[in-house]
Amino acid sequence: MKKSALLSLLLVFVLAFSALALIGCGTEEPAEPADNAAEPAEAASEIPAEVQAIVDSGKLRVGVKADVPNFGLQDAATGEFEGMEIDFAYALAERMGLTRDDVEFQPVTAKTRGPLLDNGQLDVVIATFTIKPERLEQWNFSDAYYQDEVGLLVKKDSGIESLADLDGKVVGVAQGATTRDAVQAEADALGIELEFLEFATYPEINAALESGRVDAFSVDKSILSGYLTDASVILPEGFSPQDYGVASKLGTDELREFINDTLDEMNENGTMDELLTKWNLG
Amino acid sequence: MAELFERIGFLQQGPFAVPRWEALFANMDTLWEGALVTLLVASLGLVLSLALGTIIGVMSASQWKAPRAFARAYVEFFQNTPLLIQVFMIYNALPILIKGMFIPVIVIGIIGVGMYHGAYIAEVVRAGIQSIGRGQLEAALSQGFSYVGAMRYIIIPQAMRVVLPPLTNQAVSLIKNTSVLAVIAGGDLMYAGDSFAGTYGHYGPTYVVVGLLYFAMCFPLARLARRLESKARVA
Repeated sequence: MKKSALLSLLLVFVLAFSALALIGCGTEEPAEPADNAAEPAEAASEIPAEVQAIVDSGKLRVGVKADVPNFGLQDAATGEFEGMEIDFAYALAERMGLTRDDVEFQPVTAKTRGPLLDNGQLDVVIATFTIKPERLEQWNFSDAYYQDEVGLLVKKDSGIESLADLDGKVVGVAQGATTRDAVQAEADALGIELEFLEFATYPEINAALESGRVDAFSVDKSILSGYLTDASVILPEGFSPQDYGVASKLGTDELREFINDTLDEMNENGTMDELLTKWNLG
Repeated sequence: MAELFERIGFLQQGPFAVPRWEALFANMDTLWEGALVTLLVASLGLVLSLALGTIIGVMSASQWKAPRAFARAYVEFFQNTPLLIQVFMIYNALPILIKGMFIPVIVIGIIGVGMYHGAYIAEVVRAGIQSIGRGQLEAALSQGFSYVGAMRYIIIPQAMRVVLPPLTNQAVSLIKNTSVLAVIAGGDLMYAGDSFAGTYGHYGPTYVVVGLLYFAMCFPLARLARRLESKARVA
């Protein structure tokens, strides 16, 4: 009786997981034959099949940050997104032949952006996503559209003036971000000890800094600038330059090429510079 | 066996691919450490919630108005605000209100789930006490027991048998609710899983294993609850 109960329970587990996995596969599998079928048509039009599939669906689904001023910020009052990455998404859509209204934004965090690409809920992620070797094995990345470095935000009255002053102190970082490794490497080089606490969102790290739970808030400098107040300061030091790229699902090489072409075009005709100036990122 | 694996698509690529499982099993230490923290917080939290729940439960079944009112207020407050907010407040707001009041995260976890589930357990205890006939209390009082004595020796031992199964269910919820610690960097199992999944991107296997570990902690308790329930019915 007991044994059979345990066994049936195990069975339920296995079934539940395989059902989940099958649903995951089911959405993936039909895509492949469709791709192949569309390939002959590709030569005829300029837009590759993968991009055409997005155009046909009538909307470009973009994962963006909702809490990073100048890059991707959601206006609390209107619900509208704004920032450099938002405008870039519009430019991408327009080059595909879609309109601004066809762009569907979904807020993501460092933790959710990868899974949302994998399970097909998003076409691309433009969300201060740093290009890293490990990540290249999991997702496709375009060329870099922005370069930034990791910085540290501290309270003015803490008296901390450099990374060395943080010896034995606590640094708040975002889960799933590259910051922790970057700061740790720098700390090792200086021979100092740091403790790291990971949080899911930037406002949570900021709250922890305000309450004194962490002594420094560390993330890319451009993101930090959005959290700067009269009582805090960004340390002049910066380390490990970070390249931001547009991510898409692994294997969507045509889409990546299309994004790279768009980037090249925007760099050449000066629209990228305009965008950066518009959002104070120049 | 290997051939079978090769035929299963989701083990070859995507979030559940075999190399990801291997990477996770090579780094299980982080998850074990997290599981230990979860066990520690859950067991101490359970002790606190049982103590609080019994006291508050007895208060809310009491014949005096003041303790009843206090118990009511306590239960309503904790039952009707999210545990997440309570924990977040103790973590971030308390150090601002009282300068330098940094309660260690693990202690926040114990206090958090302890007080929260204390409220639910109090309701279980109150229901248990009220399920014992009023005649029992009157008989005890007529025999010269004080009110507290009657509770201690006559009512609570009988109520215990009624409340044990729902109590065990509370213990199961309590274990699962310790996962709110992940939000305040508590180092528990959920935090360890989030951190691992975030750093390496192997979120598929990670959350499956984290889920199974929670299951392994809760399942024996849930079984115990079932057993106690059938026992109570027989008795």
